[in-house]
Amino acid sequence: MKEKEEAPIAIDAAEKWEVQLRKGSLELAILAALWGGRLYGLEILRHLETHSELIVVEGTVYPLLNRLKALGLVESEWVESGSGHPRKYYQLTANGRQRALDMTRVWTKFSASMNGLLEPLDGTKKEKEKDRRKKKGEDDDSD
Amino acid sequence: MTLTETSQKTVDAYLKSLRRELRELLDEDAEEIVEEIRTHIFDKTSGEESPEAVTATLAALGTPQELAERYRTQELLERARLARSPKYLMRATLRWAGLSVMGLLVFALSGLGYGVGGGLFLLGLLKLFHPSTTGVYGILTEHDTSLNWQSGGPNKPGELLGWWLVPIGILIGGGLLLLTFRFGNWCIRKFWRPRAWQRL
Repeated sequence: MKEKEEAPIAIDAAEKWEVQLRKGSLELAILAALWGGRLYGLEILRHLETHSELIVVEGTVYPLLNRLKALGLVESEWVESGSGHPRKYYQLTANGRQRALDMTRVWTKFSASMNGLLEPLDGTKKEKEKDRRKKKGEDDDSD
Repeated sequence: MTLTETSQKTVDAYLKSLRRELRELLDEDAEEIVEEIRTHIFDKTSGEESPEAVTATLAALGTPQELAERYRTQELLERARLARSPKYLMRATLRWAGLSVMGLLVFALSGLGYGVGGGLFLLGLLKLFHPSTTGVYGILTEHDTSLNWQSGGPNKPGELLGWWLVPIGILIGGGLLLLTFRFGNWCIRKFWRPRAWQRL
């Protein structure tokens, strides 16, 4: 009974962790999206959807862009478009490019060290999978 | 693109509400945000102007209150961090005080620090210009020990600091003001996690 009560809490904690992870990555993801040149808000959202598995809440990206601008990491300008209304384009500043490089360096180092740490877990997962397949094979043979 | 009349009314009402919610920001900033969101809605629903598409686009942005909250908290936080201005810092602390017990505590301590620091600083200055009518006095009786300051003429003996009130008031009062400002700034950077960001 106790285990049944604890299970949803564990799932909830795992989800919260994932949300925090995504949230922490979004700033770098936006800087990376702008690395190739200027984009407007919806283009950034579409870029993130196409190139990553980040589930981005639209109402979060615009305030974050506003914050990156306040930090001097991006700059913006309104540009007339063929759609009949101007669009607000964002592009990286020199500080923004440097910040993106610094964050990428930290990210790469961090993920490499985490991968090393997680290797045994990955091995265990593969062994379990192997055992499961082997057992399945034996069962099929006995049939 | 052309929205149906009903959809246009829905969008207008959403943007009007967003503008109202952003009233704490500078007019120029608030209007730019509203324009950007308007452009987003038009672009997102372009080619598919059904009322359902408009409703879905607005839902993805969150309610005007939620969206404005994300802007407001970030705006105040960044201004406090960047401008290092006591005015913005106090506004950010006030906003934080309304959101959590921790914020309330920081706000109360900051208020105390500014009050005592500012009081001492002013006393130091007043003593300089009105030496005979400004001072800190200690009164000791059998039942009570108290410390008070007054301006307007000493009516009790026992002035404690004399001319020392000038450097002590200005230095300690000024130091306390600076310390309180730095404390508020440090607390905001260290502990404030704006609510809006927890809903990502």
